Parts: sequence; structure tokens; C-alpha cells
Amino acid sequence: MSWLDKAKVGASGAKRSTRKLQGRAPGANSRAVTYSTSPLLASKTPPWRSKFLVAIVGVAFCGLLGRALYVQVIGTDFFQKQGEIRYARTLELPASRGRILDRNGQILAASVPAPSLWAIPKDFEADSAQRKQLAKLLGMTTKDLADKLDDNQNFAWLRRQADDQVARDVLALNVKGVHQVREYKRKYPEGEAATHVVGFTNVEDQGQEGIELAHQKDLAGRDGTRRVIKDRLGRVVEDIGDSVAPVDGRDVQLSIDSKVQFFAYQRIRDAVAENKAQAGSVVVLDAKSGELLALANYPSYTPGDRRSLSGEQLRNRALTDTFEPGSTVKPFIAAWALETGRVKPDTVIHTAPGRVAMGGFVISDAHPHGDLTVSEVIQKSSNIGSMRMGLMFQPREMWELYTQVGFGQKPQLGFPGAVTGRLRPYKTWKPVEQATMSYGYGLSASLLQIAHAYTVFTNDGEVIPITLTKTDTAADKVPGVRVISPATAKTVRQMLSLVTGPGGTAPKAQTIGYSVGGKSGTAYKQEGKGYATKKYRSWFVGIAPINNPRIIVAVMVDTPTAGKWYGGDVAAPVFSDLVQQTLRTLGVQPDLDVKTQIITKQVPAEDESF
Amino acid sequence: MTRLNVLLLVVLIFSSIYLVRVSHESRRLFADLDKARSEERLLDSDYEKLKAEKQAQATPLRVEKTARDKLLMRNATPAVTQYVSRSGAVAASGAGASQ
Repeated sequence: MSWLDKAKVGASGAKRSTRKLQGRAPGANSRAVTYSTSPLLASKTPPWRSKFLVAIVGVAFCGLLGRALYVQVIGTDFFQKQGEIRYARTLELPASRGRILDRNGQILAASVPAPSLWAIPKDFEADSAQRKQLAKLLGMTTKDLADKLDDNQNFAWLRRQADDQVARDVLALNVKGVHQVREYKRKYPEGEAATHVVGFTNVEDQGQEGIELAHQKDLAGRDGTRRVIKDRLGRVVEDIGDSVAPVDGRDVQLSIDSKVQFFAYQRIRDAVAENKAQAGSVVVLDAKSGELLALANYPSYTPGDRRSLSGEQLRNRALTDTFEPGSTVKPFIAAWALETGRVKPDTVIHTAPGRVAMGGFVISDAHPHGDLTVSEVIQKSSNIGSMRMGLMFQPREMWELYTQVGFGQKPQLGFPGAVTGRLRPYKTWKPVEQATMSYGYGLSASLLQIAHAYTVFTNDGEVIPITLTKTDTAADKVPGVRVISPATAKTVRQMLSLVTGPGGTAPKAQTIGYSVGGKSGTAYKQEGKGYATKKYRSWFVGIAPINNPRIIVAVMVDTPTAGKWYGGDVAAPVFSDLVQQTLRTLGVQPDLDVKTQIITKQVPAEDESF
Repeated sequence: MTRLNVLLLVVLIFSSIYLVRVSHESRRLFADLDKARSEERLLDSDYEKLKAEKQAQATPLRVEKTARDKLLMRNATPAVTQYVSRSGAVAASGAGASQ
């Protein structure tokens, strides 16, 4: 017999007793409810009470039902949301910023994790010794620390992107209310040597200068998110909803060669110190592909040290500073005169007596020369010789020549801050202006533009665009614009090599083993409306090796004050060292005979045992 | 009928307990997986950092300094270099010496 049967019996027993009770008091006018089998406990209860009770229970149920309906159907969005707030979390998936690499894959900039220290000032508890130590670790005074903590009661950065060791030491102090969060910062292994090209980012990882700014879109990744459920211990226990995967920033590979870059920086730094100069710049271009191998300026700065990120050392002088290119344009004038058949390399030009008055100005040479051939005009850098050639042209012709080689044109480099330079329209030229312009005054250009213009000589008469990103294949190569014929380019190259030979203005540009050619330039610095006396700018632009050019090197030294100021004395030695080193790094075989120092020492042979 | 119900009840209870167990296990494993993943990310970024640091230790500046000061090396000039062309023939840079 199961418990179910027992229950049935119990129920029938109860019915029976009810009948008995009813039998006892049939005459009562109100029907009583029996609560017990015992007659003693019987009480007369009016039936509306039970009905009332049932009604209350019913109403209560209705209330519950209504509430359920409200929670589940009407207000469901609100409650769902409230629930989610309590257990679901949105996690940020940080994307890493792309790296900047040099042409050989060496890292120029990379993101590395760096701990940032922060504090909740209202939780902050430290005795004076701890405060002192903390301030010392953070590199500030105790007062600064106190000020920092006073600013905001809920949050204060103590130090963002600190060194690992500093963060570890600070946490080891065990000060209450001090926390650490993992952030990323940029690391620049090449430091100040490459910083004018690479640039830097701000503390929020946004590019501020250089390639970091120019390629911000490529380098910056897109942060992802994911929704998760976290348990009481803060562990992630479930993924909910769609997650957005982070997209890492792309790497950018530059045409810069870090070895050449470093050497260029080191050499210009030394040259600036040696000549007690204000500043200096170097540009090294690949003569065939137009790739920028190095671009260095001095003074420079350390990109990792935020305190140094202001002031004039930030200026990328090779791109932003324009000056009158002076003698360095003479080869273009000679080239055009040769190209149009107006002169031959050995045509004689009268430059005596070294002074010519024109339109209220006196045009003069540094040293008076007599009759010079066209080659000698370039070699000895005669202003008057160049002017005589320049005046053979129509203004429009000269303007077109200069424009074609890139003067007065913005360099298509995709680099922030590259300036256009100045070349006025030919219609407004006065005759004397055309005369000065034929030896490089009255127009202005940056060092990069001058170096770029020289690609016309290294590429057999075609001027090619310069690029900062590595061009791998021949397909990437952009066709150049023909300005002069290959034969003319070759003739001018020979003239340029005479400049560095005996009797030229820059014999110090010579190197051991490689033939070089180039043009020196020296000018008074412009100050206000006129020229400053005793303030010079010296530069040298050259190509090497001369017969099959591989590189173009442009060097500029601003305001040398150590007694030497000619481009051939100040800038040419830098050029020489750079060419020597760069060509060796690139594995170019010397094209000049060198007295070899590899000799086998004559020693008596050992007797072979047999 | 009754027996079947009892059986079903027992099965239901066991199934429920098993469900609880499995879901707990899955949460635990998921948490572990998540921990492992974040550890992977940490190691990745550390690797990247070490690579950058390694290169910072081997910058041309340092290499040159060490080579010059410690190892007493000098720059190679074309005078002390023998260039070998791809064909295997020795192209003497110091051609002047042989003449």
C-alpha cells in the first residue's frame, strides 16, 4: 500500500466526520466550517471568511502574475540591462601600433609595453619616509607629489610609461592606493640619429612628427572589443555576443639604411662641432631609384625623452629650411646651354675682370679669372661665367628648366613639413634677376630639393621622383622626366668631377678608390631684407662614382664660425667621408686605382717533413 | 507507471547535477583559456620589447665604439680590400699595385 492510498483513506475519513457534524446541528442558520474532527474544536465561522481568504490569495496571485508580466514582457529591456550591468563586461582588446623598419628590416620604431603608475588619492596612505622614497623614485619633490595627489580625489597619474625597474620599486614600497596599469610606448632603438625621419608619437600613441605622423593611418591599429561574463572572482567565464577582433597596425618599411643614416648623423654632428656651426643637414639619395638612404640633421633630439620634444632641434632642416642654392645650380645652366647647342665644353667665356655692373648691382667672382672654358666655369665656380651662359636663355626657358628639376615644386615625398621653396614666375623677372638666378640667387630651395635636382645628372638626363618607402622591384620604379640628353648628362658629370680635382673648388671631396663629382656652394645668410655679413652657409652636393653614379650626397653646414666657411672646406670633407663609408656599405667596387696595401710578407718557408 | 516516474525523477536529478558540474567545468576551463590567452599576449609584447631592446644594444653607434675602443679595429679602405666578382675572378681593387 503506497502513501497515496493512505492519503485517500484519510480524506474519506474527514468527509465522514463532516457529515456527522452537519447531522448534529442541522438547525443552525449559518453553515459552519469544520476545522477538526473533534467537536470541541468546532467553531462557527461564517463562510464569507473563507471566500474572503480565497479572494485575497487570488488577488495576491494576480499581483504576482502582473509583476511577472511586467518583468518579463513590459519592462524586460530595462531588467535585462540591469542584469547585464551586474555580470557582463566589455573588454577592450588593444591593437598594437605597427613598426617602422629600415630597408634591411632593422627596427626604427616599435611599441613596447610600459607600466604606468597611478593612484587613488583618497586611498593613499603613506608615512613620510615612504612619501620621500616614492617621490625620489618618481623623480620629483615631495611637494610636487603632494600637489599631484591633491588635484583630484579619485584619480592621479603618478608617472606614465615608467621604466620597468621604477615601477617594480614603487610597487615594492607597498603604498596603499598606488596602482599600476600596462600601457604601450614607442621605443626608438636608433635614437637621435634617425629621429628626424622617424618622428615620434604623443603619450596617446598618435603620431606627431615625421613618418609616425605621415603614416599614422597605416601604423595605427583599430582596437577590438569583446563582451564577456565575469564571475564573482573577476574571471572571464563566457563570451557573449559578437567580439570585434583588434586590427594591428601595419609595419612601414622605409628606404632608410640605418647604417648610412647613423654615419650621416655622426659625421654631420662632428662637422658642426668642428666648425662651431649652428646646425647641419645631410641627405643621401640612391641615384638610380630615388630612394632616400639617409636624412640627418644636427641639432637633434632623443625621441624617447619627452622633455626634449620642443624647440628648434625638432626642425627637420633638410626639408624645412630653404636657402638660395647658389653655385649648386651652375651645372644646370651649363647643362642647358650644352643641350641647346649654345656652348661646347671648351667654348671660352670671358669673365675678366671679375666684376660686372648690372641694373644697379655688381656681380663679382670671389677670385677674378681671365678667360674660362665652360668646364672651367663649373670647376672654378665663376659667377660671371655662369651669368653669361644664363643670359643666353629666354626667361621662360630658364624657368622651365628649374621647374623641371624640382625647384619651386613641393617634393612628392608624403612627409610632413616638406617645403616648396621659391621660384617666382618668369614674367616678373627683371634682367638682373635672371642674371643672379643663373648662379643661384633669387630662388630658394631646401637641401632635399637640391639633392633631388641632381638626379638629372645621375640618371642620364632624367629627373626621378624621390621616395621614402622601399621600392623592391623594378616595377615599382616610377619613370623619370627627361630634361637633358644622356650625352649632356655625361659631359656635366665630367665637369663635376673636375670640381673635386686639382684646380677645383672642392678637392677635399675626394675619396680613396671612388671617383666623385659635385658642386660646392657658399652664401651669405639672409637676414631680414639683406644679407648678413660674416654669417655664411656652406654646402656641397655631389655624386659618386662619377661614371656609374650610385649615390647623391648633399651636405649643408649652417653658420660655420671656426675660420673656414667655403663649402669646399666645410661641407666637402663630410661628403668625402660619407661617400667612402656609404659605398663600402653598399658593396660598390672602387673604380679608381688604389695602391694596395695587401702584400704577402716574404718569409722563408718551413721545411716540409717527409 | 510509478516505477517509471521514480526512475525518471532519479535520472532528472542526476542529469541536473551533471549539468551543474559540466557548466562549472566549462566556465573554469574558459577562465583558464582566457588566462592563457592574456599570458600569450603578454609574452608576445615582451618578445617584441626584447627584440627592440636587443637592437638598441646593437646600434651602429655602440658597435662602432666597441670596435674602435675595445677591439682596436679600423675602417676598411679600398686599399686593404680585395673585391671578388661573382664570376670568381679576383678583381683587384688595388689594381695599381700590379701595374
